[in-house]
Amino acid sequence: MNITKDLKKLVSKEEDINLKNKKTDILDSLDLTYSLQKEEYKYTPLLKIVDKKFDLLKENKDQISQKSYEEVAKFVNSKFYLISVDGYFKSELSNIPPKVKIKKYSELEREEKDTFENMYQKHDDSKSDFFSSLNSIIHEDCLTISVDSNTVLKEHITIININENYDVNNYRKMIFCDKGSEISIFERFINLKSDENFSSSVSEIYQAENSKLNYYSAQDFKENYHYNSINVFQKRDSVSNFFTMSFSGSIVRNNLNICLHDKSCYTNMYGFYAMNDKSLIDNHTSVDHVDENSLSNEHYKGIMGGRSNGVFNGKIFVRKKAQKTNAFQSNNNIILSDKSKVNTKPQLEIWADDVKCSHGCTVGQMDDDAIFYLMSRGISRKDSISLLLSAFSSEIIEKITDEKMKSLLTELIKKQLEKFNDE
Amino acid sequence: MLKIKNLHASVEDTKILKGLNLEVKSGEVHAIMGPNGSGKSTLASVIAGREDYDVTDGEINFQGTDLGELGPEERAREGIFLAFQYPVEIPGVSTTNFMKTAVNQIRESKGEKPLDAVAFLKLMKEKMKLVNIRQDLLSRSINDGFSGGEKKRNEIFQMAMLNPKLSILDETDSGLDIDALKIVSNGVNALKSKENATVVVTHYQRLLDYIVPDFVHVLIDGKIVKSGDKNLALELEEKGYDWIKPGN
Ligand SMILES: Nc1ncnc2c1ncn2[C@@H]1O[C@H](COP(=O)(O)OP(=O)(O)O)[C@@H](O)[C@H]1O
Ligand SMILES: [Mg+2]
Repeated sequence: MNITKDLKKLVSKEEDINLKNKKTDILDSLDLTYSLQKEEYKYTPLLKIVDKKFDLLKENKDQISQKSYEEVAKFVNSKFYLISVDGYFKSELSNIPPKVKIKKYSELEREEKDTFENMYQKHDDSKSDFFSSLNSIIHEDCLTISVDSNTVLKEHITIININENYDVNNYRKMIFCDKGSEISIFERFINLKSDENFSSSVSEIYQAENSKLNYYSAQDFKENYHYNSINVFQKRDSVSNFFTMSFSGSIVRNNLNICLHDKSCYTNMYGFYAMNDKSLIDNHTSVDHVDENSLSNEHYKGIMGGRSNGVFNGKIFVRKKAQKTNAFQSNNNIILSDKSKVNTKPQLEIWADDVKCSHGCTVGQMDDDAIFYLMSRGISRKDSISLLLSAFSSEIIEKITDEKMKSLLTELIKKQLEKFNDE
Repeated sequence: MLKIKNLHASVEDTKILKGLNLEVKSGEVHAIMGPNGSGKSTLASVIAGREDYDVTDGEINFQGTDLGELGPEERAREGIFLAFQYPVEIPGVSTTNFMKTAVNQIRESKGEKPLDAVAFLKLMKEKMKLVNIRQDLLSRSINDGFSGGEKKRNEIFQMAMLNPKLSILDETDSGLDIDALKIVSNGVNALKSKENATVVVTHYQRLLDYIVPDFVHVLIDGKIVKSGDKNLALELEEKGYDWIKPGN
């Protein structure tokens, strides 16, 4: 690979010795990582396209944001929010909640650094996904979020990442949820740049015993390219709930990797995507049951219109020690046009014997019987179809217990579904 | 009110209705009986405007309008209602929301203002009583997990909400025990008036003890082969359909 040389240069400039070692390590396995792309990106030519269109290795400068704040204000719908521009966290634009420490990696005190050094690049996929490798090596300064033990934040924190000045932006964050803490995050990406761009975002999340995390994301990338990798490491009795909603983007690739490392961990992974035009949405998830008595529950649903493509790949690993595991997975798709396509694949590897596991995927069209039933009561075809599509999405929306988040996401979905009216 | 002349309909090149004639006037109750597969549900669906069926010949005229070009929703707005033999389950849409949308779209098509929440609730309460249906059932997804009887009661509830001119009840009695049958029939009878008409499709005589027809027609192999009064139903109950040969 010709970029290895340039990456080496980047790594050699790294001043933090610890980071330098980690980056060197990633660099050393880059060939192997690269070779994995072929299978893991079978239907998603993201690398080929972004490599041709953009200079992936260009370094961004931390600029003072000119216009972001006002335009961003309309995306902020919570008291607390964290804003990053072009990959750099901007504390001056943010409103930081109490009992949550939010800093750039470079600003951490020695003892704070220990926590993050220990988790940094430990459980992410920088050795199995080439984009995460690139992000790990290139990104300048990681955002760190540390939630004190037993801190419970009722209201969600909005994380807003703004692409303002560059056509390639790398975001990186680590979240440390200490024992018994409970927080919710709503993450969004905004393009203030009119040209095409590529953004990559890698997150590492560590959940200590008894912690709880709700993580919502709404992805609306228009004509842009996006890579997102969220990696979660859960300790005993912790709970995570993910809601990943995707509405547009030339190519959007989401990796969600969850490691249920201890006994009695729970995770719910929900996703909803509604795509049209020529967009491509690829959700690759994995959940690793390491110890006894844990539960993973995954349900992704999608509506594909226009010439859109969908990819779903769900891996479930149940290790030998992970007896009494419950692991459920399903993926349901409605295809609205004969030019759209979905490739969906579950992948299960189970080494324990006392396990309850189920998986299923469906790809179908609108139910004609249901449309006729609604129309026979005087409802127009257009409204019958939107009733059915919003009903299809409601199964995911109903899983959101936070009323504010529920109505925010319902509204976003509604707007997106209206786009299907012309089909 | 309804005039069907020489109706031919087919699905995917299979001919199902083969020259059917029927006239229904306001204030009348007609029963259509016939063996399984004779085309009763097809007739009901074709009148309601289901697009999967091709009308290859003949016409359906409703109150002076040729229905030929009208979609199912337009027919409903004209006052045609079909109570389905197999009501469709629709997870994620509540019957309440469904009916609110339907009632208001029908009103809108007539240039009337939509009902506000209070007026709608009042209408619902009134019609719920008629078929003895509980509020919580209507807040649930349409027919989702309903028992057979609940589904049929929901059909009659919808009929009451929409107040149609012509109601076609397709096997509304099937799967009902005697109590549910009485509730459903009482509902239908209460909605009957001089201005509207009812077509009851059934293959048992039992329902006709409760909803008494003015005319009984026998549909065999896509055609009405015999018509009579309610005594014809009793005769069919006793002798079956074999004694009626198409063409007799
Ligand atoms: N959508 C369809 N596709 C294929 N065949 C159909 C369809 N609908 C009805 N039929 C056929 O048409 C005939 C009449 O069916 P139907 O109208 O349901 O009869 P009935 O209600 O009198 O029992 C049957 O032979 C049935 O198999
Ligand atoms: Mg039938």
